[in-house]
Amino acid sequence: MPSVPDTGQNPVIIEVKNLSQVFPGNITAVNNISFSVYAGEIFGFLGPNGAGKSTTIAVLTTLLKPTGGQVLIAGYNTVKQADRVRAVLGYVSQDLAVDDSLTGRENLILQAGFYHIPRHEIRQRCDEVLQLVGLEEHAGRLVETYSGGMRKRLDIAAGLIHRPQILFLDEPTLGLDIQTRQQIWHYITGLREKYNMTIFLTTHYMEEADSLCNRIAIIDRGEIKTIGRPAQLKREVGGELVKIRFTGGENNNTAENIAAARHVIRKLPTVKSINPDQDHETQVIVSSDGEALVPLIFEALQPLQVKINSVVVKKPTLDDVYLSFTGRNLRDEATDKNHALQSMIRMRRIRS
Amino acid sequence: MYFLSDVYYVCWREMKRFLSQKTRILMTVFQPLVWLVLMGNMMDGLTSNSMAAGMLGIDNYLSFMTPGIMIMTTLFGGVFGGVSIIWDRRTGFLNKMLAAPIARAAIPLGKMIAIAIQSIFQIAVIAVIAALFGVKFVTGMAGILFMLVIIILFSCGMAGISLSLATVIKSHETLMAVVNFLTLPLMFTSATIFPKLAMPSWLKVIATWNPLTYAVEPIRTLTVHGWVWPRILPGLALMLLFAAVMIAVSTRQFSKSIA
Repeated sequence: MPSVPDTGQNPVIIEVKNLSQVFPGNITAVNNISFSVYAGEIFGFLGPNGAGKSTTIAVLTTLLKPTGGQVLIAGYNTVKQADRVRAVLGYVSQDLAVDDSLTGRENLILQAGFYHIPRHEIRQRCDEVLQLVGLEEHAGRLVETYSGGMRKRLDIAAGLIHRPQILFLDEPTLGLDIQTRQQIWHYITGLREKYNMTIFLTTHYMEEADSLCNRIAIIDRGEIKTIGRPAQLKREVGGELVKIRFTGGENNNTAENIAAARHVIRKLPTVKSINPDQDHETQVIVSSDGEALVPLIFEALQPLQVKINSVVVKKPTLDDVYLSFTGRNLRDEATDKNHALQSMIRMRRIRS
Repeated sequence: MYFLSDVYYVCWREMKRFLSQKTRILMTVFQPLVWLVLMGNMMDGLTSNSMAAGMLGIDNYLSFMTPGIMIMTTLFGGVFGGVSIIWDRRTGFLNKMLAAPIARAAIPLGKMIAIAIQSIFQIAVIAVIAALFGVKFVTGMAGILFMLVIIILFSCGMAGISLSLATVIKSHETLMAVVNFLTLPLMFTSATIFPKLAMPSWLKVIATWNPLTYAVEPIRTLTVHGWVWPRILPGLALMLLFAAVMIAVSTRQFSKSIA
């Protein structure tokens, strides 16, 4: 779990004020959102396609001029001082934007050129980032021979070549195999630890947001529903579930005994409620700390006659958080033809 | 401050891509060759009489046609220039360039220069083949170099049109359709393949307004007639204007939000 930077001390490095984006045809992609990102934190944007994630990141990376509000990155306005903003940020898009007809190294040289790295430093920088992502051996080969994971790593290397203050990652592990995903998560946390880089990522993978991010914002239909630390958001959802099963066939598990057990449990600390589950054999307990509650339950039920058959502790996940704020599961995402085509092309390149 | 460097890197990438596609290089040379060798020699039979020679301005159709082939080749090279933008948009490379601190104008300019270089390469091959077939370049090497200037300006102009269209047209198919719709009419309503004198009056009018006519005229003059400035300068001036305007337009287009 990444350590949380002392947000009181760290300056605000991304400031979004009343950002709105209305496309021709009166389509509101982003509706008056505001938030701040502190230097050195890993900040995640969680939401489905069409939520406004891609539009927001496009505005933050100067690719799109907002129709309302403003964005300041490292103090620079993304519209009026766009070039300064571009110089301090790195951008790794969902598409594997590496040129197939060049070698890995040539791609990086190109990137170094685009970011105005002095000529005599280019070679060294390329070596540096190649080593970081573990592609030194393959640098001389054409990118068309690379696997999807290698291309992604090269794209990340390219985003880092000018040592940006902020790195924007749009769905960094989309479509990749589990090994590569873990590698990339490792790089991301490493970057923050080594260079104190601020990382802004978008994702629709719950576990990614949960394990990587210091703070996340849930965005849905162009609006931010909530912002906070994953642990805190999960706590706020309502609590952890402890499910205890008293199998009815057992001699001791009579209705009386179970009623007595419920009475005892209800009085234990951290218990918010206890209700029978649909199968009438399981009691569902909502608690603010399920893990600590379990031993207490065993102690308390010992003098009684009941026999506990099984115990399950279910902690709320970001799925639950998402559901509670948006009323939907993240999987229910609608997509249109262009998105579908784009996704198809992207997937083909990643999976090749 | 970094403008030239930005243009250089955009151009460098385009050239690397071009050179890595061996079949594409072959194709770009093959097509004009076919026109030159086949049509040129076939038309020769039709035009080897005094009336035709009067309209062509020379007794040899190949000499008349070579400048036309050069312009045609440059035309095709230029109008498909926008395709690279659409492809870059699809693969996300356009966004990558736009998110980098490179001058917006460097993107169209870098691509235009690369396209112009590729055209020069093709023109050189055409000139050599034409010479081998007996076409005499009356103004010699100096004339050929001057022709290359016209070619470069014309190429930038056509590429500029294509690149500007590509900033607003998002699909491959639509761009190809627009381009194909324009190129053949442009070609046949100009003095590229057939002499203006041989055209019916209505076609002559269109030809007078067609930029291709003004591109091919100075080149044809330099090939066949010599340093006849009154026939060269108007074309040169118009090509300069054409290139300048298209560079300005495409630069403006790329400064907008086109991600």
